[in-house]
Amino acid sequence: MEEMDLYRHTDTINELLARYGVKFGIYKNNEFREQLFPFDAIPRIITASEFEYLEKGLKQRVMALNAFIKDIYGDKLILRDKVVPEEFIFASSGYLAQCEGILPPKGVYTHISGIDLVQGKDRQWYILEDNLRVPSGASYPMIARNLCRRSSPLTFQQNHIEDNRNYAELLRRTMDHVNTGGHTVILTPGRYNAAYFEHSYLAEMTGAHLVTGSQLVVKNDHLYFIDYSGKLEPVGAVYRRISDEYLDPMTFNRESVIGIPHIYDIYRKGNVALLNAPGNGVADDKGIYYFVPKMIRYYLDEDPILQNAPTYLPYYKEDMSYVLEHFDHLVLKDVAEAGGYGVVFGSKMTAEEKEHFLCLLKKEPRRFIAQEVIDFLDLDIMDDDKMVPRKADLRAFVLLGDGPMVWKSGLTRFSRNPDSFIVNSSQGGGFKDTWVLSQ
Amino acid sequence: MGIISIENTDRLFWLGRYSERVYTTIRLFSVSYDDMIDTYANSYQDFCSRLDIPNIYQGKEHFIQCYCFDGTNPDSIYSNLMRAYDNGITLREEIGSESLSYIQLAVYEMNKAKLSSAPLIELQRVLDNLLAFWGIADDSIDSENVRNIIKVGKRIERLDLYARLQMSPEELHREVARLSGRLPRTNLKYSAVQLDSLRTLVQQPEINYRDIVFSAEHLIV
Repeated sequence: MEEMDLYRHTDTINELLARYGVKFGIYKNNEFREQLFPFDAIPRIITASEFEYLEKGLKQRVMALNAFIKDIYGDKLILRDKVVPEEFIFASSGYLAQCEGILPPKGVYTHISGIDLVQGKDRQWYILEDNLRVPSGASYPMIARNLCRRSSPLTFQQNHIEDNRNYAELLRRTMDHVNTGGHTVILTPGRYNAAYFEHSYLAEMTGAHLVTGSQLVVKNDHLYFIDYSGKLEPVGAVYRRISDEYLDPMTFNRESVIGIPHIYDIYRKGNVALLNAPGNGVADDKGIYYFVPKMIRYYLDEDPILQNAPTYLPYYKEDMSYVLEHFDHLVLKDVAEAGGYGVVFGSKMTAEEKEHFLCLLKKEPRRFIAQEVIDFLDLDIMDDDKMVPRKADLRAFVLLGDGPMVWKSGLTRFSRNPDSFIVNSSQGGGFKDTWVLSQ
Repeated sequence: MGIISIENTDRLFWLGRYSERVYTTIRLFSVSYDDMIDTYANSYQDFCSRLDIPNIYQGKEHFIQCYCFDGTNPDSIYSNLMRAYDNGITLREEIGSESLSYIQLAVYEMNKAKLSSAPLIELQRVLDNLLAFWGIADDSIDSENVRNIIKVGKRIERLDLYARLQMSPEELHREVARLSGRLPRTNLKYSAVQLDSLRTLVQQPEINYRDIVFSAEHLIV
């Protein structure tokens, strides 16, 4: 594999990313700021055979998760058969009673899934978490690839790298597949959302209209876009980048001013597609993650191809005993948190912190999961002029249209801090391109 | 015409206006600044008066810093550029990333100029990026309506500024002619009465600048 001279262009590519406004928003001390997302030009490389394995495993996982959501809001067979305890469903903040009995257009719930993986030093891939609500991040490697190709054409001429710039096409196919008739729109909370760059870039690349809630209206059981002249244009698919609770003030959070009143009523009637489906949070809860391998066996009658990181649920007595015994070697995660927050390492706690945490764990065992600390495979990044190893993960994107499609790329995020496992952009992480080799 | 919302129509119009405001005021400021070097230190007072902006400045140096770069001063060039940016950033799918990048570059250059030991010469790069923005917008935006809304905003702003600055009748006449040709090719709702009024006003032997400003400001309804 020739990486050619691409890495020498890191600074130039970062300058160009800044020029195109490739940023994410962050709120600090009640103030909104836009931050650049640092790019490292040394790619993560996935061979064709390795990707084939990942692709199979990811498709399998997403199909099982889709079947799980359908079952939970439908017949609940997996609860009846006690594969998943009821407490993990009805106590989950992601479970929405309003979704009971609703079948979305074409039975698709998980249109766009962001599955986070890490590779251990043993080269084994582990799933870290499933993001089934509004996963973000695909736009960054898309635009970075364009700039990398411009910076070092020889690299792409002499290596066999799958073109990842087709993400918009895959997304468009996914949206069109469930469109009930009319325009396709991307619904954003507005420019002060952390992922606003992505919303606007995906709108540009897919040709969908970027809208806010005030530009849409429900009338006569259908959804419409209000154009300049006041004319109503029908909308058949909404790729919504706002959370369930803000989607419809008549059904969810009454104080939401960014949603569309009654959109949920017409969704219920099958008159508009919402991507992703509301209520998906029940399946990407960190507690439910533990049960995904069981779901794969239950719904698909297959052995899971991809492994979870070894996980313990303190909810189960035997797991609690294990967690207490091996506390210093585990990482503990609050199931209600995201974005790298609510993650603590047993080994890094002071005696006082540990005591406090153990009290909380015993009081609210359902609130936490514990995982073995995976010794991630480090990836090299350029730090000034030196190549240094850093922890990195991979967010793979799986789109579910008339069948599951795994994007031949992904968002590789890395920690810029040598002592940290936290790769999230909101906590100072950077990103890399992810090359999938075609041969 | 593709579908476009009221909000985006409004933003396109104001993107045109604010980008023009920044462009023209930098050029005018450069002339005024040149006077302040060794001819007329208080020429900024005339500048404020002609543009009808409050003279809140405590002297030449304060004017140079505050009028150019103070984000808390609503009349500053910096504030107007940020308004252009705020409108532009919400229009990526209408104008494209390539066009938008020149507004972003103008912001970066403005921030660099603010920190520079020779800020005024650095403002040239802001002008260059605005010129590039208009060029690429004209070249790469597919929708004629979208292109024309930006240009109408630009023309109205220029007419407004030129009238306030009492520029020559020929220049005003040229701006009204350009605006008249462009406006009907947009989905903007405008007052035909005000447009006729503008056409008449620029042909009078004695130019009534205040009426031109009024008609320009009330043209879009």
